[in-house]
Amino acid sequence: MAAWDLSVTVEDLGLDAPPVTISVASDLHIGGVILKLVEKTQIKQDWSDHALWWEQKQRWLLRTAWTLEKYGIHADAKLVFMPQHKPLRLGLPNGITLRLRVCFSNPVFQTVMGICRMLNIRHPEELSLLRPIEEKKKKKDKNLAPEIYDLTEVPLSSGTLSRPCLYNGMPAHFADSPEMEAIYKMLSVSQPPPAPEVIAKQYRPASVVDKAHINGRYVWLDSSRCLLQQGIQESDKLWLRFKYYATYDMDSKYDAVRLTQLYEQARWAILLEDIDCTEEEMMLFGALQYHISKVAQSEPQIMSNNPAMDDLDSALQSLEVKMEGEGSSASDLLENMTAPELTDYLKIFRPKRLTLKGYKQYWFKFQDTSISYFKSKEESIGEPIQMINLKGCEVAPDVNVAAQKFLIRLLIPAPEGMNEVYLRCENEQQYAQWMAGCRLGSKGKTLADSSFQSEIQSIRSFLAMQKTNSSSSSANASEESINTHSLVSPRYHKKYKPKQLTPRILDAYQNVAQLSLTDALMRFLQIWQALPDFGLAYVVVRFKGSRKDEVLGIAPNRLIRIDLSVGDVVKTWRYNNMKQWNVNWDIRQMAIEFEGNVNIAFSCVTADCKIVHEFIGGYIFMSTRSREKSETLNEELFHKLTGGHEAL
Amino acid sequence: MDDIDAMFSAMLGEMDLLTQSLGEETVPPEALSNTKKEVNYSIGFTDLNESLHELEGNDLDALMADLMADLNATEEKLATEIECLKAPSASQPDFPPPPKGLSIEPAPSHISPSSAGSRSSNVSTPVPSAASSLAPPPPSGAKPTTEEIEAQMKADKIKLALEKLKEAKVKKLVVKVLMNDGSSKTLMVDERQNVREVLDNMFEKSHCDCNVNWSICETNPELQLERAFEDHENLVDPLSAWTRDSENKVLFQERPEKYEVFKNPQNFYLWKKDKTTLRDMKDKDKELLIQENFCGTSIIVPDLEGVLHLREDGKKSWKQRLFQLRASGIYYVPKGKTKSSRDLVCFVQFDNVNVYYGKDFKSKYKAPTDFCFVLKHPQIQKESQYIKYLCCDDIWTMNLWVTGIRIAKYGASLYENFKTAEIKASNSVWTNRSTPSSSNQSTPSPTVKAKSPNQANGHATKPQPGPISQNPAPPPPPPLAEVLPPPPPDPVLPPPPPPMAAKTASKPTPPKRNQPNNFPPPPLDMDNLPPPPPPPPTDDHLEAPPDFLPPPPPATGFNSLPPPPPSFGGVDHSLPPPPPDPVSLPPPPPDPVFVASGAPPPPPPPPPPPPAAPVATLRPAVRTSGSLKKVPPAPPKRTAPTQGGGGGGDFMSELMLAMRKKHADQ
Repeated sequence: MAAWDLSVTVEDLGLDAPPVTISVASDLHIGGVILKLVEKTQIKQDWSDHALWWEQKQRWLLRTAWTLEKYGIHADAKLVFMPQHKPLRLGLPNGITLRLRVCFSNPVFQTVMGICRMLNIRHPEELSLLRPIEEKKKKKDKNLAPEIYDLTEVPLSSGTLSRPCLYNGMPAHFADSPEMEAIYKMLSVSQPPPAPEVIAKQYRPASVVDKAHINGRYVWLDSSRCLLQQGIQESDKLWLRFKYYATYDMDSKYDAVRLTQLYEQARWAILLEDIDCTEEEMMLFGALQYHISKVAQSEPQIMSNNPAMDDLDSALQSLEVKMEGEGSSASDLLENMTAPELTDYLKIFRPKRLTLKGYKQYWFKFQDTSISYFKSKEESIGEPIQMINLKGCEVAPDVNVAAQKFLIRLLIPAPEGMNEVYLRCENEQQYAQWMAGCRLGSKGKTLADSSFQSEIQSIRSFLAMQKTNSSSSSANASEESINTHSLVSPRYHKKYKPKQLTPRILDAYQNVAQLSLTDALMRFLQIWQALPDFGLAYVVVRFKGSRKDEVLGIAPNRLIRIDLSVGDVVKTWRYNNMKQWNVNWDIRQMAIEFEGNVNIAFSCVTADCKIVHEFIGGYIFMSTRSREKSETLNEELFHKLTGGHEAL
Repeated sequence: MDDIDAMFSAMLGEMDLLTQSLGEETVPPEALSNTKKEVNYSIGFTDLNESLHELEGNDLDALMADLMADLNATEEKLATEIECLKAPSASQPDFPPPPKGLSIEPAPSHISPSSAGSRSSNVSTPVPSAASSLAPPPPSGAKPTTEEIEAQMKADKIKLALEKLKEAKVKKLVVKVLMNDGSSKTLMVDERQNVREVLDNMFEKSHCDCNVNWSICETNPELQLERAFEDHENLVDPLSAWTRDSENKVLFQERPEKYEVFKNPQNFYLWKKDKTTLRDMKDKDKELLIQENFCGTSIIVPDLEGVLHLREDGKKSWKQRLFQLRASGIYYVPKGKTKSSRDLVCFVQFDNVNVYYGKDFKSKYKAPTDFCFVLKHPQIQKESQYIKYLCCDDIWTMNLWVTGIRIAKYGASLYENFKTAEIKASNSVWTNRSTPSSSNQSTPSPTVKAKSPNQANGHATKPQPGPISQNPAPPPPPPLAEVLPPPPPDPVLPPPPPPMAAKTASKPTPPKRNQPNNFPPPPLDMDNLPPPPPPPPTDDHLEAPPDFLPPPPPATGFNSLPPPPPSFGGVDHSLPPPPPDPVSLPPPPPDPVFVASGAPPPPPPPPPPPPAAPVATLRPAVRTSGSLKKVPPAPPKRTAPTQGGGGGGDFMSELMLAMRKKHADQ
């Protein structure tokens, strides 16, 4: 067979270097081409990751046994010889940017699997890569440039799905050096709240349509094609995000990074109003963020997930409990049965009594879940003037540190209704104690409860927060002085001043203050997932036969047709009633058939219909997962469901 | 009253002695009178007092008094005791009569003697032994053995005492539960018990079909509200919120809406779809809905939104507003604003309120319809501005909202409760009759009454042919009978005579003493008892009527009471005369359903062995006590017996007594 010249650009020689020309025959297989190429370059290095990329056809020549003829390559072909894995800047949900080597030659689905394996995130099928289309350089690069963490040295692991072996609760490659450990910590521990300005600067969708357009601003990459095919170059920036809100099999033991990143994504969705919530919900989210950032600082190791250590821990713990149980003597038991008390002079005011200005001082005694008061300390042995059982009451703070106002507002339930009572404390210390007592009492707990001290602590730290806020000078102080504006979306920046926000968040905080880090993260996610609009991806579509644009909401279990102007849900279709769906790739139209002879068809306006197709197929794939199969990902099925004609 | 006795004996296993002195026979009649007198069967404190009064002259009073004895006394006593015990040389560690304890002691001691007198010495003896059994290390052992052993025993005793002390701190209420048939059962509920346990208790007592719809409900006649307690809820807490003069009642009812959301989730989660789609929903789709909404990482609340009528504070007018249910609370759309989440105004959050059904609000509050529900703090018992009244256009919407609110408030517990309830129901079906439960579940649940007939029919067909001549439609489901033939019947309707036998029998068998609170011994006794079948039936007849006061003729009543069958089957076999049935008849015609539940006769305890045993034990004890009752001169009346606190009785003192007694005997 006749030999002809094939010129190949070898990336390692530099971009400006002339292509290497080798003499080949059409029956030479790709492996032979590579061999000749390497010999010609005379460079000694590990070429094993390199492969040929055919630029005109936008495809990799990965089958080394195929001949040039079989690939249809002729002398005019422009081939590039380059590594399949290249560094990429990857933005994580928590705002951190990593630099790491990812695969440019396999379908994105596999690339994501590789990334997740490196970062120790289970269930990579729930994530995907987003390409920010319009990235305004000014906005971010200033800050972000120095914040890139380099993971390119991490050895590439083979393509198996096996979980990386863990060392000290993290993948071995993170345990190599202190720097790497620090990076891992950043991945697995939630970030401190962002400065309010940072939140305010970011883009926030104002309507469903805006949200639909996000899918035009940030494009989900096609899972069935590789990065290079989608125009992604070395060192480009992509975002790794959870795409399918069908969180599966979350286990805080193994999912430190996954849980943290999902939380971060949720947090930003709330802060940027990607998902709507009510004011009350926002306050609770704020309280949880505050709590999470606080706890994450104080117990950073809690997330360590070494199973062996866990077992040991729990074993030790149970041992402790046992010994405690056995060791408790009769006197101990008796002691435990007499709860501690709180006594002091406080002022009380009962608005209902129509005694204006009626703050009267009495000797107060807090016992069990009740407050009683007496004329004076000396008379406290006798019958109290009144005894107030706090169980089931509502407790609200009314505090102004600057004005030295420390009020506890109690709504005491009684058969006739709720009675309002104000207790006035003299100072912070007193307030923190009594407030903590009231909080516990309202939940039916006594001062003997183990959470009493920590409750006092959290109240004090909140007071401190208010102090710094009111002085408004030290913006960046310790973590104690978080600006409450960092915890809520900008809408509330306008509505409330930080010091007005503080009591509201504190109010919500009392219900979550005792949660562990993991529980708090889970609670945050649960509340997020319970929001009515949770998990909806919006696309502007045009239904067949309709003359106006409408919004299609894609949820984990259903499709929703939304009136674009009003925002009302017009119709809902559930996937489990779906019989089949088709994409007409020529006219870019999706047609879906549901049970009961329901047929819909639409074309997509703000996103490619491949994206919509992949969303629907992806969610159906997510629903096929089951516990037994969870270890091995059925990649083939995924592509079948999401690939469209390219996959077939 | 039976129930009361039973409760007591159950709770105070060690106090057999005391309980024995209570007269059951006397009780029934009183109960009768009670029912006749009272038009309303309320559970309030007042009621308790009343019932207690009726028991006056009985040992029950003494028992109550003892129970109520000041806890402090016990504690001090205990403390002194501990000190004494700690003293190494204390030769009589076991019974250093503490000063305060003494005061308490007398009462119990009196009782025991009295009982002995009445019942003959035999009776008295057994009692002490039983008491001693509670205190594991009997004095006798301590005396002879070395100091070491003594010390060990002391330690054990202290431990036990402390446990008892803790136990004594537990709040208990005596609750009168109104059955559908107008009869009532009295239960003792302690604060650690949740509604599920109380329901199980009622199942045992009522022999209903145990289907998942059975609920314990609370009514507030003053506010015209009612609500079914959730199974995981504590029962004592909400009842403690009742006022002293409260007319509130506790009911035992079937409430189909209780778990409807798990039977037909589509009606709640896909309520916007058209009715036919909903009706034709496939099981697997229902399953999926439950999975999606209750088995994920978070519980999803039905997406409810609609116009409801809100009662204006203090005014008589009702105003329409667009409300939305979210996991975090109920919100409304203020005038001129959009439905967007950010504009919603919070109407109420669920942390501190419960949801109630309003009854007849059309006439009471001029509501647009009678389909109203109310949100209020459980402690609010009277009209107040803090109560939120909402009114829906139809019953369907109302159930949608109330269920949605329950899901938002209780979350996963609701589903857990349902699963537990289902297991209970299926167990009972398995042991009893399969028809009833299944029918209930399948039928959306029209009215209770409607169901009951169905069940009856079902039973009738299934049941074995011939056993009961009296019953036209003999309900007895074969299975049960086969499973636990003899024992069940006895426990439920323990004939008065048997008790005697039981007592005697128990005495002879000493081993039982060792067994603590489990009541293992009693069951055995019961088994022994069965032999004397003839007497029981008659007794049953006598007894039964009193409890339920249903004068109705046995035969008619019987028809309505299908449920009991299972046990009956057994009974019938063993005892030719079908006396038990008559007993069950009591329930007046009106609420046939209840018959099953209310009628004690057929003891179809699902879990045959265990449940039956306890019951049985209780019964015997009660009976004996009944006989004794006359003797005891009512010690310190229940001065304290305010029902609410009821219970904090001091078991310690009882314990002490028992121990002392033992000691003395030896």
